[in-house]
Amino acid sequence: MSALPSQSLLLIADSCLVWGHRLSEWCGHGPQLEEDIALTNTALDVIGQARLLYQLYSSRAGNGLTEDKLAYFRGPDAFQNVAIAAVENGDYAQTVLRSLILSAWFVPLWRALAVGRDPELAAIAVEAEKAARVQRRHASDWTIRFGDGTAESRRRIEHAISTLAPWVPALLATEIDGTDRAHRENEWRAFVAEVMAEATLAAFPVNANGDHHAFEANAKQALSALLHEMQSLAREHPEAVW
Amino acid sequence: MYTQAIDTDPTLRTSAASDDGAAEDAFLARIADDEKIEPQDWMPEAYRKTLVRQISQHAHSEVVGMLPEGGWITRAPSLKRKEILLAKVQDEGGHGLYLYAAAETLGVSREQLIDALHSGKAKYSSIFNYETKTWADIGTIGWLVDGAAIMNQVPLCRCSYGPYARAMIRICKEESFHQRQGFDIVRALCEGTPEQKAMAQESLNRWWWPTLMMFGPHDSDSTHTGQASAYGIKRISNDELRQKFVDVTVAQAEFLGLSIPDPALRWNPARGHYDFGKIDWDEFWRVVNGQGPCNEARMNDRISAFEEGRWVRDAASAHAAKHAARAVARAGALEAA
Amino acid sequence: MSDSNAKSLAPTDWPLFEVFIRSKQGLDHKHVGSLHASDAEHAIALARDVYTRRQEGVSIWVVPSKAITASDPALKNENFDPMASKIYRHPTFYDIPEEIGHM
Repeated sequence: MSALPSQSLLLIADSCLVWGHRLSEWCGHGPQLEEDIALTNTALDVIGQARLLYQLYSSRAGNGLTEDKLAYFRGPDAFQNVAIAAVENGDYAQTVLRSLILSAWFVPLWRALAVGRDPELAAIAVEAEKAARVQRRHASDWTIRFGDGTAESRRRIEHAISTLAPWVPALLATEIDGTDRAHRENEWRAFVAEVMAEATLAAFPVNANGDHHAFEANAKQALSALLHEMQSLAREHPEAVW
Repeated sequence: MYTQAIDTDPTLRTSAASDDGAAEDAFLARIADDEKIEPQDWMPEAYRKTLVRQISQHAHSEVVGMLPEGGWITRAPSLKRKEILLAKVQDEGGHGLYLYAAAETLGVSREQLIDALHSGKAKYSSIFNYETKTWADIGTIGWLVDGAAIMNQVPLCRCSYGPYARAMIRICKEESFHQRQGFDIVRALCEGTPEQKAMAQESLNRWWWPTLMMFGPHDSDSTHTGQASAYGIKRISNDELRQKFVDVTVAQAEFLGLSIPDPALRWNPARGHYDFGKIDWDEFWRVVNGQGPCNEARMNDRISAFEEGRWVRDAASAHAAKHAARAVARAGALEAA
Repeated sequence: MSDSNAKSLAPTDWPLFEVFIRSKQGLDHKHVGSLHASDAEHAIALARDVYTRRQEGVSIWVVPSKAITASDPALKNENFDPMASKIYRHPTFYDIPEEIGHM
């Protein structure tokens, strides 16, 4: 057995948790009852993946580490998530576009890990890939509806693209041990290009220029606020079992 | 899933009088025979109205009921609790959906029903106008509020209107985990630190009386219990259900080591039931009529989700229309070729 | 508030679909409920989220509710009562000698 280095494990787990947390913020506030339920399913999927990965990480680390210690008792500087996962939801267009960007990134990642050399992780990845495919379909369907829907929806999805594009280069540049980064990036680009075309939208601007430091700072701030809320109760009662 | 017997439209009491006396008699005979009524069947207007009112009120309660608990999804103190709570609140949305669909079989659209909610014409269970101040409230809601709701709902699985009964069967099946997860939260608090235990007790103190109010006014003051039970829509009376709830819950509180905030609560061997104190009906009616702690916040949340979702729904409709038109055009081109 | 509520009756509602689920391979699809969706494919996707959260199914059909034609409930007696007299269609109508055993 050849375990994935813990840093990569944590990066994936943190990304899932932070993103799942953002998705869960929609529960009860979705644009239509049916859609509220559908989006919450995607939140449940990624939070479930985060838990499994934290459990795996903890069991390997020993020292009495647990999933909840990892989730609730680390500060923003210790979180390894891809920055885009923590960005605020914005409107529904921005929410589904982030889901498209991330699920299109996760599908090839999970597939690579599913056949990778870490069997415990592979077992998680096999199931996670299925869920990520459903999520990618959900997000592409909505991106297409927005691009090829009404004038307002098109304006909103275009705005979401310009808002989120600056975080994409760092996402695609993220190395995960045991996977072929360039191959994953190619699949991401091919998939997103197809969706943009069907949505009658311009090609996705991956090489957007911008002040990357400002984006990083924004993401950090969003993450801090997210963790502050998420961890508030658990930290108030550090000894408690829930 | 939350039902509450609130009688909001006393005019219905007498509207059963029908110009079609024979059909009405045949209809009542079918109900008496425990036959199910289906959407296309003839039904008295009062029956239809009573159902639309009750089912939609029930659906609204589910959807509004997502809000007080939903506020704690982002603060749930462990990942396990976060996952469970998210799934539970999502289920409530599903239950609202099943119920709206059941109401729609009676010839009203979901949009009309939602409009009635947003304009304040339709009611929902007043329990959701209370604030969820602490994490313990999430446990208490599952344990008591869902517990009370289940007690109200199980008899509805046998109600005379087919689509409502079928929706209720599905809902009750899904609901059983809701009460258990709530009890499990409270139990963990009671077995935890002194602060946790105090949190559980404080929460019970706030929710006990509003939960008893969920069963609705006393039978003697309830305006259309009579009509609803003649129609086979309501099977067991408000007071009977409330008593059953108290009897069951006292033992659970004892197990948890929590005390029920009612000095008058004591076992009455002659009745074979617990006696309990007087319910503050003024508070009940205040909250039903809009002066509860969160009435306004709940409606604002629902209305803004609906309004902010409009462009999303419109985009999907517009895209579906374009998509369909293109398919027709393609088929035409093939035909021509 | 009342202005925005008046708007909410705009005719942009998604149409209603009836949902049928095959609970496991080899069984019929069974009607489980309905939902609103912008088109049939959307209805399939949403039915998966709304009606199979507990692994209730392996296959989904959706049908626009408008496309369903139902028999007239007023004709229930004349349609179905005449079948009650055809008891010879049921195997229990016939006596088989015990010596013959199962047939």
